[in-house]
Amino acid sequence: MLTYMLRRTLYMIPLLLIVSLISFSLIKLMPGDYLTVARLNPNLSEQDIQEQVERFGLDKPFLVQYLIWLKNVVQGDFGRSFGTRMPAFKTLFFGGRLFWTIIIAVTTLLLTWLFAIPIGIYSATHQYKASDHAVTFFGFLGLSIPNFFFALVLLWLLVVVFKIGDKGLGISGLLDAKYYGQPFSWAVFVNYMWHLWPVWVVIGTSGMAGLIRLMRGNLLDTLSLPYVQTARSKGLAETVVIYKHAVRNAINPLVTVLGLSLPGLVSGSIVVAIILNLPTVGRAYFAALQQQDEPVIMGALLFFSLFLLIGNVLADFLLAWVDPRIRYD
Amino acid sequence: MKNVLILAGLLVACSLTALGQGYATMPADALVFPVGVAGTVYEDMELGVRGGTLNYANITDPKAWNNHTAKETSTTHYTGRMHRGMLNLDHISGAIVPDFAKSYDISDDGLVVTFYLRQGIKWSDGVEITADDVLFTYNDVILNEDVDCNARAGQRLPDGTYPLMEKVDDYTVKVTLSTIYRPILNSLSFNLMPKHKLAQSVHKLNPSVPAGTFNQTWTLDTPLSELVGNGPWIVTDYQVNTGVTMTRNPYYYGYDPAGTQLPYYDKIYVHIVANQDVSLLKYRNGEIDVFALRPTDIPILLPDSGRKDYTVAITDKAGYGTTWICPNQDIGLADGTNAEKRELYRNVKFRQALAYLLDKDTMIENVLNGLGTAQWTGLSVPSPFYAGRDIYGGPITDNDSVIYEYDLAKATALLDEIGVVDKDGDGWRDLPSGAPLVMELNTNDNTVRVAYSLIIQDDFRAAKLNCNFQVIDFNTLVNQLLGGTGDIILLGLTGGDEPNSGKNVQTSCGNLHAFRFSACDDPDEVDLRIDELMDLGANTFDLDAAFAYYKEYQRLLAQQLGYIYLCQQTFQYTYYNYVGNANMASPISTPAGDNGLLSELCFDKRL
Repeated sequence: MLTYMLRRTLYMIPLLLIVSLISFSLIKLMPGDYLTVARLNPNLSEQDIQEQVERFGLDKPFLVQYLIWLKNVVQGDFGRSFGTRMPAFKTLFFGGRLFWTIIIAVTTLLLTWLFAIPIGIYSATHQYKASDHAVTFFGFLGLSIPNFFFALVLLWLLVVVFKIGDKGLGISGLLDAKYYGQPFSWAVFVNYMWHLWPVWVVIGTSGMAGLIRLMRGNLLDTLSLPYVQTARSKGLAETVVIYKHAVRNAINPLVTVLGLSLPGLVSGSIVVAIILNLPTVGRAYFAALQQQDEPVIMGALLFFSLFLLIGNVLADFLLAWVDPRIRYD
Repeated sequence: MKNVLILAGLLVACSLTALGQGYATMPADALVFPVGVAGTVYEDMELGVRGGTLNYANITDPKAWNNHTAKETSTTHYTGRMHRGMLNLDHISGAIVPDFAKSYDISDDGLVVTFYLRQGIKWSDGVEITADDVLFTYNDVILNEDVDCNARAGQRLPDGTYPLMEKVDDYTVKVTLSTIYRPILNSLSFNLMPKHKLAQSVHKLNPSVPAGTFNQTWTLDTPLSELVGNGPWIVTDYQVNTGVTMTRNPYYYGYDPAGTQLPYYDKIYVHIVANQDVSLLKYRNGEIDVFALRPTDIPILLPDSGRKDYTVAITDKAGYGTTWICPNQDIGLADGTNAEKRELYRNVKFRQALAYLLDKDTMIENVLNGLGTAQWTGLSVPSPFYAGRDIYGGPITDNDSVIYEYDLAKATALLDEIGVVDKDGDGWRDLPSGAPLVMELNTNDNTVRVAYSLIIQDDFRAAKLNCNFQVIDFNTLVNQLLGGTGDIILLGLTGGDEPNSGKNVQTSCGNLHAFRFSACDDPDEVDLRIDELMDLGANTFDLDAAFAYYKEYQRLLAQQLGYIYLCQQTFQYTYYNYVGNANMASPISTPAGDNGLLSELCFDKRL
């Protein structure tokens, strides 16, 4: 197992190198560069633009730019953002973005699982009944409404239909303006919760349908296995058969899904974060993409790739952990 | 969870700037805004009371806190409120007036500008501001090639030299020019930076720091207590992607006639939002106090204006900037193709025909909900030099404007005259040789521009001009425009009051002379005259004389039709009625706009 872990970890190095080369090529294939907007500034002459091109090193050939970047990365320098002039990773994580990304992702994930697993079980044990169709319908409804649209509709409902402004409540962001700069208190906590629930609803409903269907399918498969029939024939109560014998086995594949969710923790929900004004890493990445801020884009892509690889390895380990039949040599 | 909450609390806790205590009494050299004084442009304003917080929304986060390395309005929106220069725009009229300088004079030969600075005025941390700060900002920051500063471009004189700035005494600064150059007053309105805080980051003053250090100074991770300014507001809190708090500078030198120090509001809170739709929702929710409207927002807001006690101000004042189509007169020049099309695009009669086919009334009615104005030349309509005026800064009459009202008959007659007729009977006009003429109209994914393009395509087709339209990526479009490879591109440029700022667009060797880059090597008579007029307008401090030169240049532009101008949205604004003086918002200044000059004169009537 230890050898396997070491091997998997070492495999990540060439993979990350390939990812970096492909990412760098893709950035360079995009039309324009960081200075495209500046080129339309009537106050700047060709000479002024050229000075900036040289300052940012954008005049060098593609391969030279990549090798310079790679050399700096090996020395631990991921470059500075063209826009903020701060180191690339500092730009990505600045102002608690990493913290809030993880908080939002983990809480959303937990809530999704908290609702999706019981609903999946209920759906499987009430197969083809009206209630099964109803929960499946609502699950798919959540999946099919685009998140950005749902977020905007939710804000509109709160403001225009429920008129929350009359009650002194705000929309979007992490807090109402009056709470910024206030010491942490119960009122501040409650206001955080007020601003976070739309996030949970919007992102949670989009992820729930898949989990419900997965749980339902796995449980139905398990319930048809001979050992479940054996348990029933022994005269065990139906709740014991389902929760003690069937669910515990049916949930195994979902553990793998959990491991694979890791990259989504940091890169997901970009659009929702933008509409709902949340400070997340994805949002900083999106801003960098819009401005073609190359060092930040490269930093973000490497960071997301690293999480994807770690997520895959974790999924493997989790699977081996929950299923004793699986062994890696 | 408890630890997480504590950490969350810590992240939210702001780092308050250590602001000084303020002046004991009003400084003798204070800048007094004549609020409510009859006979001034401020006469319709009310004296305010201090206190409260002004809330408004902005779409992007700041990139840094350094005014002179900033490249975007997302940053200067804040730094422009933290710093002021020797000169500034008048908060109501927009004219260039003394600000930190209490006065200035220009020598008889026009080559020396002397500024007399206000005495006893302090930075927000209580350190006095002197001529050393002015010289530091100009000589060690703006003109320092080690500093990545956009403002340097505006300082360059026509002969390639830069003005020489010298200290006469602690409160007098002398600027010597090698040639008369009127726009220098614009350029010398640069914002001041505190020498005592920033000199240590400038390599030429402090060789112990590496070259380029200043470019990485006052970045977002700088403790906000380090930020020092002389403007009305100082940033005191920043919540990433969420909001910025600005607090009144206790040492700001602006006062009202009653002796009340400005700004009236204690704080500004800027909500950073995703887009205009969220801004609109926040306004309707009562979270923000003022909002710059889009025409489509008006029918949504009007029904509630009485119940919620806000005003939707609909004006006919045009905004800054230009929108145009640009037939590429160099099409195919680089690769030796499209010779006949290029010849056609270079024919002014063909471009006149296109101009007659632009139905600006329909564009204004259908795209801008009737809230727009036609634009006939390359200078922003609000500029006092705009050719539609009879005198410098006078009302717009369009008496001398070169106007091409929509006229299908005139357009078809011109096309027939130059031989662009349907020769093969397929329903489309052909090139004079008989080869098919197919025009490609492109713009980027911008709702208004796409809507304009569709109207233009329809009108071109009505004249039997075969025109395809396609939306393409913004960067690709800019590359086509600046690479001289596009066909007909619809885009826009920012604009201002000063015609000389458009020099790169209109002069034959300008890097934005995108309708015919080849004019640099092969200028015609009109190009040469425009180049000459731009220089003449810049080389005089006589505004009436400058206006005459710029009017002629604009009339030539309109006749030459390099860029063919479209329409500009007029200025619309909405504000809750408890925001005093918000009714004075205009394209020149709003409480929440990027220059935000009005923010220091607005107040909360509920207090």
